[in-house]
Amino acid sequence: MAAAAVPVAAAAAAAAAGSEPAGPGEEAGAGPQCPGPARLARLPLARVKALVKADPDVTLASQEAVFVLARATELFVETIAKDAYVYAQQGKRKTLQRKDLDNAIEAIDEFAFLEGTLD
Amino acid sequence: MAERPEDLNLPNAVITRIIKEALPDGVNISKEARSAISRAASVFVLYATSCANNFAMKGKRKTLNAGDVLSAMEEMEFQRFVGPLKESLEVYRREQKGKKEARKDKDKKTDSEEQDKSREEENDDDDERMEEEEQNEEEEVDN
Repeated sequence: MAAAAVPVAAAAAAAAAGSEPAGPGEEAGAGPQCPGPARLARLPLARVKALVKADPDVTLASQEAVFVLARATELFVETIAKDAYVYAQQGKRKTLQRKDLDNAIEAIDEFAFLEGTLD
Repeated sequence: MAERPEDLNLPNAVITRIIKEALPDGVNISKEARSAISRAASVFVLYATSCANNFAMKGKRKTLNAGDVLSAMEEMEFQRFVGPLKESLEVYRREQKGKKEARKDKDKKTDSEEQDKSREEENDDDDERMEEEEQNEEEEVDN
């Protein structure tokens, strides 16, 4: 029973280990249709963890918490980029500019926490 | 080097890639805009951390867990992130399980048989983690 499980686990682990460095590769061909959710974090967890530790009130954070934060941050970046782009489109521009971001922050309630922090 | 938490930046290359993939082809982003989004991302982490920490404290826990972060997302009005985040977490947990088993196999080839049984039970409990947040405290010793 255990003996049978070992090679399967090893194969699964090898597959998982093999796909990790290939992260960017598997997304290369995928267009905007490719669902973000199942993807592993692209932001380095160590950097996210450094930010978490910067909070004096935080004692410890689990690895999972850091991972979820990293993924959430990626979703946040996608969201704010798209929302800012709406303003670039209004200005008939194909380049996202700082003012588009400022407009999005001012207009959208969820981004209120950013006010005054980007300067 | 970093004087303020806001100065802890996330890697520009990754941020840029995420932005580019979120926007239609042919759309560019100015350096100032990209840098501002990067800062915004750092602020987001700090704010989310603080929010999540409040939930941990409410639960009388000293360790931030994944559930706290998800609660923080709802609090911050990013509920639509919660679904995708839960899915990602599932994948992450499976990966971590796979890694543990691989390490076990490498270290203990002969002794593993009996120990595998008890570890498999532990791993089954891990699947329940999302609902039973208290158990997270026990795991965090590894960190």
